[in-house]
Amino acid sequence: MKNNAKTPRLGLSPLAVAILIILPLLFGFAALLIGRFSVSPADFAGAVMRFFTGGSAERADAVIGMRLRRIILAALCGAGLAVSGSAYQGLFQNPLATPDTLGVASGASFGAALAILLGGGIFPIQLSALLFGGAAVVLTKLTSPTRGNGTSAAVLAGIMIQSLFNALISLVKFAADTDDKLPSITYWLMGSLQSASWAGMALGAPLIIIGITVLFLLRWRLNLLSLSDDEARSSGVDMKKLRIAAVVCATAITASCVSMCGQVGWVGLLVPHMMRLIFGSNQRRLIPASIFAGAAFMIAVDTAARSLTAAEIPVSILTAIIGAPFFIYLMRRENGNGGVK
Amino acid sequence: MKLSLKNCSFSYREGEPIIKDLSIDIEPGRLVAILGPNGSGKTTLLRCIMNFLKWDGGNCTLDDEEISSMPPSRLWSRIAYVPQAKGVCGGYTAYETALLGRAGRGGVFSNPSKKDKDAAMSALRRLGVAHLANRRCGEMSGGELQLVLIARALAAEPKIMILDEPESNLDFKNQLIILDTLSELAASGMACVFNTHYPAHALSRTDKSLLLAPGGEYLFGDSAKIITETNIRRFFGVDAVIGSVEGAGTSARTVVPLKLASGDAPAEKPGGRVLAVISMIIREHSAVEKINAILESYSGILVGRMGMPYRRAGVSILNVTADADKKEIDALTTSLGAVRGVTVKTITTAADESADIGRAEVV
Repeated sequence: MKNNAKTPRLGLSPLAVAILIILPLLFGFAALLIGRFSVSPADFAGAVMRFFTGGSAERADAVIGMRLRRIILAALCGAGLAVSGSAYQGLFQNPLATPDTLGVASGASFGAALAILLGGGIFPIQLSALLFGGAAVVLTKLTSPTRGNGTSAAVLAGIMIQSLFNALISLVKFAADTDDKLPSITYWLMGSLQSASWAGMALGAPLIIIGITVLFLLRWRLNLLSLSDDEARSSGVDMKKLRIAAVVCATAITASCVSMCGQVGWVGLLVPHMMRLIFGSNQRRLIPASIFAGAAFMIAVDTAARSLTAAEIPVSILTAIIGAPFFIYLMRRENGNGGVK
Repeated sequence: MKLSLKNCSFSYREGEPIIKDLSIDIEPGRLVAILGPNGSGKTTLLRCIMNFLKWDGGNCTLDDEEISSMPPSRLWSRIAYVPQAKGVCGGYTAYETALLGRAGRGGVFSNPSKKDKDAAMSALRRLGVAHLANRRCGEMSGGELQLVLIARALAAEPKIMILDEPESNLDFKNQLIILDTLSELAASGMACVFNTHYPAHALSRTDKSLLLAPGGEYLFGDSAKIITETNIRRFFGVDAVIGSVEGAGTSARTVVPLKLASGDAPAEKPGGRVLAVISMIIREHSAVEKINAILESYSGILVGRMGMPYRRAGVSILNVTADADKKEIDALTTSLGAVRGVTVKTITTAADESADIGRAEVV
């Protein structure tokens, strides 16, 4: 018997870490230059110089400033949605659990739409999104059968909760003023990174960063979530606290993302699964990989959304076009070989 | 570390006890089997011991410390649990699975240390599955997966291991591998408690057995004395024969179920008084202590004892002579045979005057 096997690596390899860090930076830099108003690397270098020396601003500077804001927001939301998808998949022991399929995104959207209807500013919108996002995940958990759960149970419960909140969103739209409130709710629901201001980001970003940090630190122990209850308890870790920490972080991240850039779907499904195919299902690797790949993915998709056509395409349309077929592929694979969990 | 249950009771519904006034002690180094028909509360008992279910009454203690009031981290550094190997941890590799046995150590934000990683690998090595370290659990055979789950429990460095039907759903060879593993763990000083559907495993391998019946009735004691034809009829409702099977150089005690029990229990036939010589070849020195303990408990029926080391072969030879009822001789033989590293054979002859002294019977 070969009993002198070497201890395998648990974390990501240095090469993988390097690629994962460079990718979003590279995409981010490219995204600064790409768009309807073309910016050359020379313009960029000039803008950086002027920023530090305080020279008089040119037209390119404003464009770069605007793009920079979007890129940071895209990176934050991409990383956040991907990592919360990863956490939800562990929590629900279900590879199809995501902020969208669990109804969290719909709940948060309803909360935000309600706040817009009632004329709230950025802070009430975020608070309301957080509150209803949390309510949605709790409802989904309560309505999905806990024992003998097939992979579809939580997703079915999520779809019910999702349609409930979608109905409520329609109600809000129905009640909204057609000249003023309705267009802003509708446009915002489609998901856009355009409307985000530095002030809005200052409120939403800390929650996302804290959530990502906590999930990142918990990454190894998050693996315990996918064990059976008795097994997980027998590890000696307080599973109740671990579950609550993971749910709170993932939900806060999702709700903050929704409150800043609307309902951007599918990221929480696509990115963790692509990473799972490459790095395996251990959260020790999956969480950091999802964070960086999510950021890179979202920057790429948002850049495409604003530069493919003359008018900006809502980013959620692009993610859905990529996401829906991928979801079907996963469902079929799931039934075929007993799971990618 | 001693696990003690004193007057423990549990019921899911009032008035329908599953476990009633159960009192047992489990010492270090013991291999203990829990047997009983479906619905007799085997798994429930394990879950109660591990504080997954709350006892209705009684005391369940680890070295006199009440388990229900122990902080989880303290409890789970002493007890490890091995669940049934049914579709668990599919996506993790054997190494990642074994490493999760260390999750209770260190701060909640910490990552596994070098020591944790070494413990996981050495647990895999000890169970002979280190070569599977990079294999995903979902791609293993049932026997391999069960060994990996035991490795995970072992990585936590427990004093007591609790296993839920570890050898169920496995083929012959894998059953033997698991049973050998349990014997080895017990020989190293760990107490192992496991549920099983195989009385023969309890009889041939374990020190003590606990027989459970629906409604809370139980029997606990030396396996050789507990696993009897009468008790199997009483607890399982099955007529079974317990006998020896002769193989090349060895004999094994086994239990063969014959038919569903019907009618009244046959009156217990006395085995008759016999004179027996029990011969043992002891290959492992660690077995001597256990053998002496067993012989001590049977000192009333022993009439002679001769031992000699045979250094060239690295073994010890021990012959004891006993004069007692045949059933008692059988029980003694079974107990001795269950000790790891010992080969046992017994020759008996009827001891009463009328018997034909010349006719010897090999048991």
